[in-house]
Amino acid sequence: MSQATTVKSMRQPTLETLGLGGILDIFRRGALPADAAALVDRVFGPRGERGSLVISGASGIVGAGKAMQLGARLAPHGVRVVALDFPGAPDGIGRQYPGLVEALGRDGAARVMSNIVRLTYDGKTLPEELKALRPRFLLEAVPEILEVKLAHYAVFRAAFPGIEIRSVTSGFPASRLGVGIAHPAFPHEINKMWEVVEDKPSDVTQLLWALGMIPLPVADNWSFVLDVLFCGVTHAGLRHHRRTNMPFWKADKLVRKLVGANPFRAHDVIGAKGANFLTWSCLHHLAKEYGAVFEPTPELTERKETGQPWYPLDHFRPLVDWTLSPAEQEEFRVAILGPLFQMTSLMLHEKRGHLSHLNSIGETCAQFRHGILAMLREVGAEKAKQTVAAYHATHPEAAKQAWYPEAFDHMDTPEWQQLYVNAEHDGTVGVVTLSRESYGWDVDRELNRALDWLKAAGIRRVILTHDFHLATQLVGADTADFFPALSSAAAGFEVSSAWTRTARRLWSDFDASVGFIGGKRCLGGMYELLMHCHHVVAVDDVRIGFPEVGLPVVPGMEGCHWPLRRAATEHWPKVMHALLSGTAVRGKDCVGWFVDAAAPMDEALRTTWALASGTASGPARRPLAAGPLVGLPTSVSGLAAADDPLVETGRAAILDCVTRTCAVSAADAVDLQSRISADFLASKPARDGRVGAEFYRVMGA
Amino acid sequence: MTTTSALFPRARIPYGTWGSSYFPAWQTSALAEVNIGQFAGEAMARILSLRRVPTSALEYLVIGSTIPWHWKFWTAPLVASCMGRRIPGFHLEQACATGLQAVLVGAAEIEAGAKDVVGVLTFDRTSDSPVGVFPERRAHQRTHAIADVWDNFGFDPATGRAMLAAAGLTARKYKVDRREVDDIAFHRYEQYFRAKDSGFLNRVLVPLDLLNVGGRPLGRIDEDKGVKRISLGSLRAQRELDTCVTSGTQTHASDGMATLLVTTREKARELSARPEIDIRLIGKSEVRCEPSHMPEAPAFAVQRLLQRAGLTMNDIAVAKNHNPFAVNDAVFTKVTGHDWRKLNQTGCPLVWGHPQGPTLTRVTIEALEEAVDLGGGYVLVFGCAAGDVGIAALFEVRDGGTR
Repeated sequence: MSQATTVKSMRQPTLETLGLGGILDIFRRGALPADAAALVDRVFGPRGERGSLVISGASGIVGAGKAMQLGARLAPHGVRVVALDFPGAPDGIGRQYPGLVEALGRDGAARVMSNIVRLTYDGKTLPEELKALRPRFLLEAVPEILEVKLAHYAVFRAAFPGIEIRSVTSGFPASRLGVGIAHPAFPHEINKMWEVVEDKPSDVTQLLWALGMIPLPVADNWSFVLDVLFCGVTHAGLRHHRRTNMPFWKADKLVRKLVGANPFRAHDVIGAKGANFLTWSCLHHLAKEYGAVFEPTPELTERKETGQPWYPLDHFRPLVDWTLSPAEQEEFRVAILGPLFQMTSLMLHEKRGHLSHLNSIGETCAQFRHGILAMLREVGAEKAKQTVAAYHATHPEAAKQAWYPEAFDHMDTPEWQQLYVNAEHDGTVGVVTLSRESYGWDVDRELNRALDWLKAAGIRRVILTHDFHLATQLVGADTADFFPALSSAAAGFEVSSAWTRTARRLWSDFDASVGFIGGKRCLGGMYELLMHCHHVVAVDDVRIGFPEVGLPVVPGMEGCHWPLRRAATEHWPKVMHALLSGTAVRGKDCVGWFVDAAAPMDEALRTTWALASGTASGPARRPLAAGPLVGLPTSVSGLAAADDPLVETGRAAILDCVTRTCAVSAADAVDLQSRISADFLASKPARDGRVGAEFYRVMGA
Repeated sequence: MTTTSALFPRARIPYGTWGSSYFPAWQTSALAEVNIGQFAGEAMARILSLRRVPTSALEYLVIGSTIPWHWKFWTAPLVASCMGRRIPGFHLEQACATGLQAVLVGAAEIEAGAKDVVGVLTFDRTSDSPVGVFPERRAHQRTHAIADVWDNFGFDPATGRAMLAAAGLTARKYKVDRREVDDIAFHRYEQYFRAKDSGFLNRVLVPLDLLNVGGRPLGRIDEDKGVKRISLGSLRAQRELDTCVTSGTQTHASDGMATLLVTTREKARELSARPEIDIRLIGKSEVRCEPSHMPEAPAFAVQRLLQRAGLTMNDIAVAKNHNPFAVNDAVFTKVTGHDWRKLNQTGCPLVWGHPQGPTLTRVTIEALEEAVDLGGGYVLVFGCAAGDVGIAALFEVRDGGTR
């Protein structure tokens, strides 16, 4: 097939915003669109002339975290990391060592640490030793004071003309700084998201992607999407406190229940002193630019100086609960969502970024249960406007500026409707991409729309995969969507049967369907989805498994019988072991039962394309045993006794489900599995387990 | 109505910004398990929220309590922090007069012009009262350990007598009839349950949910636990502990808090849901009577207050008192000639218990609420304290209008 064939997509693939093209092209090409080694050469110079990465303000929370994260990834490429800070700065780098040991082991940690060169300077003159290290890229993480930052750039440019500079700033636009921005999300050691501001996708941004990060291009405005959302929801909680006296801890818990985020707890965890200042600084600048909707409250202004935490100290753990009346609950909803919706209207008006980016930032970085656009979409334009109007009734000054209700007028477009799932096709082969790491109702609906779109275009061959950008792994079902099922077997049945119906479409609606597992892992409900494809291809080292037993829950998308129906009898013990132990297996170790092929990335891509396009031969399609299975093992050897009685209960339930669903036909097993799964979710063990605990933690406020 | 000048002309109590917890009896509720100072601060924030008063409006906090609580050293600023506000303030105590004295001191703060909005917050936990260990080098024991509530109730160091003995002594002095005392107690229960059944208490008392350290429900404080309907026959049958004093004709220890605001007139209008209601503090008096004759002291305080104000009991729309013993009310009638049946129309501490610090604050709140129901008038609040002290205060409610 010609590589020049026009590719159509439901909406723009997010990868394209990085200048890396679409997803279908990755499979057609049989290679990823960017190579880390080549990009390292471009950014840091070729081996032999390799320059270094300088992180200034390296002892701070951001600087130290990024020194670890980037250091670990750049060390194999021979790029040294220079950690620069003032002589008196507290040691932020050394504090990272235990975490590094935990992540990489003692030897790995030592390798990263020995690659870091720690230098101090007086803020005016760069140390002489720096020249020998050939700085090529400066990641600036100095305090949020414009003059300080500008002077810092001037010093570096004078000493190292042509050096690439990015600021991690929390709020200043690139136009004020005169440098590009790479604004990372907390926690800085592990969060891979960076909001980047630059004229066009640069080598630096593509290198971040190639190193496994998630750069998200956004427009050049005061503060970034994450800051607007996170500081915005904090601000909304503060305003509600000011109006109603609601304690910060209670506002925090109710925000978590309503939105998912823990704004006040997060400030305390990050470090109230620094986080309070950053939030104040962000809101202060936003208020100057956009008006009262962002105006910091006196409580925040006071705490920016004192660093006082928001939660009471342990000896004053909250005593008087706030049991809200329905009217108070509505008041709270309006107080939180009103300003959030208004702030989002502003960001939409300013076209701050791809809608999936705006949505994903809230979810991945600000703990939103559903991204802000998914929430708006669910609420609907009219109700969202009514919510903002109700908020303005309590805060009239906010209505005067930065409110763009028309920004909600196009919710029926694919950009709004396909936040988590996209589809592309070239007229013959389609690819469906998942931009969310966990499966939920939003994904389910969008996936059905994507499959409909492909079918309407006459596409009979399809690949299902992660999106190579926002979702770097597929972790399973979003257990928050199970909450109603904890008290209602009917609700559980609805989740299980509806999601199963969607998954079955991959088996029945297409001539060829290939699931591609290319991220770090594919677990639980996400694997149950992909296993319904005619073929599953994995990269060698991805981890695949059923962690349900540990929660415990019973897999609800046919995990208890479908893999057995598609595996040869000699593999049945391995499938059973995986189901009952919860242990994930590597892609290359489960060929023939969980996957059909496993290979290094490029080869796996090529195999996937061969199977999907039918242009080359691949592994034969494993048949589905549609009738009752005979001879299933009744016990599994090598299964260690579980420490937790809940896990034993889960094992028994899963084994029971396997036995019963395999004893009937594949057609009859659908409802049976859904019923067993739903009954277990509504049982005491599930409520006592992790799903129940999470429900209480999130919804118990 | 006779008009008289106000003691604190600048000070007002904004109508409806007040509230009290229920007063569960000693050791019957989750309040027995908490730091009562923290509880009071957090409860005040919640009550003010329900009253639509932001705590940010508060400038100062006067707290009153009589029983030491954990971290009492830090007094009002700490309690304010539990409310979510870093405002100054101080702590006062005057035994059972604390709840009224705190209101008076709050008004004095306003009158002094230093503040426009003062929070008054009183609280106490009689359950699990702390034990103080005092070096007493001149005592043969060398060290005294005192359980704060019960050892003090049982021993007035100035006279060596118990509170209960003071009631008996006073009953004998005034030749009070035991049957009348039982009648008074029975009548007070009838008044309480009538007010409760009418929904009156729901307007001043706020149910509060408590959490344990794990954030799980610890209990709901939504009734004056321990208060049960009582028959006259059962009162009559009770054994006398001292003259005219039985367990049925005296109050019981309880736990709780109560709060109200004292503000300038302008702030009262701004903060009250019914700004047309004007509540002023007209006067106060405090007296001491013969040693260990506490039940007569409030009557003397009232006499002095009314005399100074140029009023009589006939001018009073609502009269309500702290009456730890029904003997108090019998003696009040003997001293003033005012029928005890006219007091305490909506209940009193004899029935709903006595957590000490907040008792007279709740009495005040209920009395003011009752006066508003009646369309305004003078409100007399009085009570006894510490063996021989009487305290009385006179408020005026104007433009109340009936509901």
